[in-house]
Amino acid sequence: MSRDTLSRPEPLARRAPDGARPARRGSRTEARNARAAAGFVLPFLALFALCFLAPIVYAVYQSLHKTERTGPLGLGGQEHEAFAGLANYTHALTDDQFLAGFGRVLLFGAVQVPLMIVLATALALLLESASARGIPFFRSAFFLPYGVPGVIASILWGFLYVPGISPLVKIAQSVGWDVDFLARGTVLWSIANIVTWQFTGYNMLVLIAQLKSVPEELYEAARIDGANAWQVARHVKLPLIRPALVLTGVFSIIGTLQLFAEPKVLRPLASSIDSGFTPNLHAYSEAFVGNNQHVAAAEAVLLALVACAASFVFLRLVGGRGKERG
Amino acid sequence: MTSIDLPRRAVLGTAAGAVAAAALTGCGDSGDDHPAPRERKKGQKITLSFWSWVPGIDKPVDLWNRKNPEVQVTVEQVSAVDGEQYAKMHAAIKAGNPPDLGQVEFPVIPSFLLDNGLLDLAPLGAARHKDKFFGWQWRQSVFGKGIYAIPQASGPMGLFVRQDLFEKWDVPVPATWDAYEAAAKKIRKKGAWIETFSATNGNRLAGLAWQAGAKWYATKGDTWVISIDDEPTRKVADYWEALVRQKLIKTIPDRQNAWYKDLQTGAIPAWVGASWGDALLVGNAPGTKGKWRAAPLPQWKPGGRTFANWGGSTTAVFAKAPYPKDALDFAVWLNTDPESIALLINGGYGFPSAKKGYATGALDVDKAFFGGQEYSKIFADAGAHVDTSWQWGPGVDTLYQRLGDAFTDALGTGASFRSVLTKVQGQTIADLKGKGLKVESGT
Repeated sequence: MSRDTLSRPEPLARRAPDGARPARRGSRTEARNARAAAGFVLPFLALFALCFLAPIVYAVYQSLHKTERTGPLGLGGQEHEAFAGLANYTHALTDDQFLAGFGRVLLFGAVQVPLMIVLATALALLLESASARGIPFFRSAFFLPYGVPGVIASILWGFLYVPGISPLVKIAQSVGWDVDFLARGTVLWSIANIVTWQFTGYNMLVLIAQLKSVPEELYEAARIDGANAWQVARHVKLPLIRPALVLTGVFSIIGTLQLFAEPKVLRPLASSIDSGFTPNLHAYSEAFVGNNQHVAAAEAVLLALVACAASFVFLRLVGGRGKERG
Repeated sequence: MTSIDLPRRAVLGTAAGAVAAAALTGCGDSGDDHPAPRERKKGQKITLSFWSWVPGIDKPVDLWNRKNPEVQVTVEQVSAVDGEQYAKMHAAIKAGNPPDLGQVEFPVIPSFLLDNGLLDLAPLGAARHKDKFFGWQWRQSVFGKGIYAIPQASGPMGLFVRQDLFEKWDVPVPATWDAYEAAAKKIRKKGAWIETFSATNGNRLAGLAWQAGAKWYATKGDTWVISIDDEPTRKVADYWEALVRQKLIKTIPDRQNAWYKDLQTGAIPAWVGASWGDALLVGNAPGTKGKWRAAPLPQWKPGGRTFANWGGSTTAVFAKAPYPKDALDFAVWLNTDPESIALLINGGYGFPSAKKGYATGALDVDKAFFGGQEYSKIFADAGAHVDTSWQWGPGVDTLYQRLGDAFTDALGTGASFRSVLTKVQGQTIADLKGKGLKVESGT
């Protein structure tokens, strides 16, 4: 295969400084340029405002209001929205189930994210090593699960988890291992398995893309200096793909906090997943089962804040060194 | 079947009705924000959307469409797993684009009223159809002067057993709950499990509590009185907890693949179900044809005849339906027309709410599956002895979820089932208060 099949990130990075044009022209040209720039940016801004900013503003607005009902028994009465201050936030933060969901995804993230990133890195390095064979096949095969929607993946794995149907359980039992993938203690890791299966290939691809941007000369130089394949990987490749590692790490942390489809799909199959298993599932249940959209909005805002904070902390932890090779 | 209209229930109904009537007159001009319902002009063609999950519902709808070229109805199948259909309906109401008609079960009607989601059919003259239906089922959707849905079917409860396995193992079909426990012990010794206690099945638990004499919801003045941890429900909880702790019963969720598989293989030879369960067994365990029988729901007292209802649903018109009169006509036709009822029965929708639909022997759709047994008689008898004073209240979907979560937790941690009831009682009161209702505890 050719090493250029994947686009390199450099051109984008190189273009960035060019974007800041030296403004030593006539004011008319400048104005025209500004108009042209606005014309190019406007479609993006419009969509960004409509699909991103507006929902956030609406969610925050909803989270600060509540529904008030009049009329005895509350049936058939009038309802109207009233300002609630931070009551919905207090409600969410004093809900044990909601907080337990956070604990669960944080534990999940602490175990699953490093595991997946290590696995993705290992696969990327293997596929990019000089002695790799059948690269296009393996790369596609590893990436394929990412093409399966999360809901479908969960249904597929659900069949492999449910006792009485799953061949895996049958095999395990035939060798005397009484395994229950959907039990209280194991179901979180069964979900971790689905997520890992789905996203390792994707993260691998991001890492491969970065590996491809490393100039061949560096490897050559390392080899001439007497480095073996392991040393090249350890001392040349790994430091160079650091930005991609940071990126996949941040994506994975955010993805973990937003865990929803897998527990939602497995819930009818397992009597160990409750309606607030993850914060997202809890917000969903509040909104659509309990019909408390206002509380759900507050929970969604809290979730976004935690995701922001977690990403920020992660970026601080790995330091600014990722930018060395932009 | 006249015993359904107990005088006692009539008195209670009037009392509750008076209260709710006050509620309705007190609220003035609600519904002003809804677009004015339109009258269809003669010859004008319209299309009504209908959300349902009832198997075979498309057949009577096709029949209607053939007979009524001007009012076409399109069915959208919605998922009934885990209450998803109601999540979808509530979301659609919130978003302002609900369908014209929907399948809504008895227990959740008050939840929809809380959101002004259903159209009051009384101004359209729905009351004139009242006598076509069994009184207690008609009253499930009557609040004050408002009539909010047309009843479709009920689900009197009963016990399904694998006759062949019970005979082979020499287990008598249990007539009481004590006998049921004894049967569970015997069956467990044979390597099978009598059935499962599904933590997330609030509907069945409600039915079992109903049979034991519980009253989860009641009204006092303009206050809701909540009694989820009342004595009868505690009795039921203790009973099933004992089965679980003795490991006489599985704890897998019901009505999903692993459970169907157990039905197919005989790993589970019994099911406390309801009249509509025939279609479910036929559809999911076809290989066990001829081996099943229906039996009356086990009783708390030997010789007792107290039964309950699991499920039961209505056809409701949503509040923003632009052509309410046509929607009502369809809803009434669907649930009273003999041809429509025959098609619904074939699909396996439960026991007709219409008095005329009940009498037929056609209810034994799957006679062969039950070895020739006229099994509908069992459920007809149960239906005639359902305690009709049971009342549903707002927030049942949340209540089921709370129960599901707490039982899930109790199965994992070993917490007592009674503690589940105490917990959910408190949560439910808080939930309803949070919705701005007046609530008190009845226990």
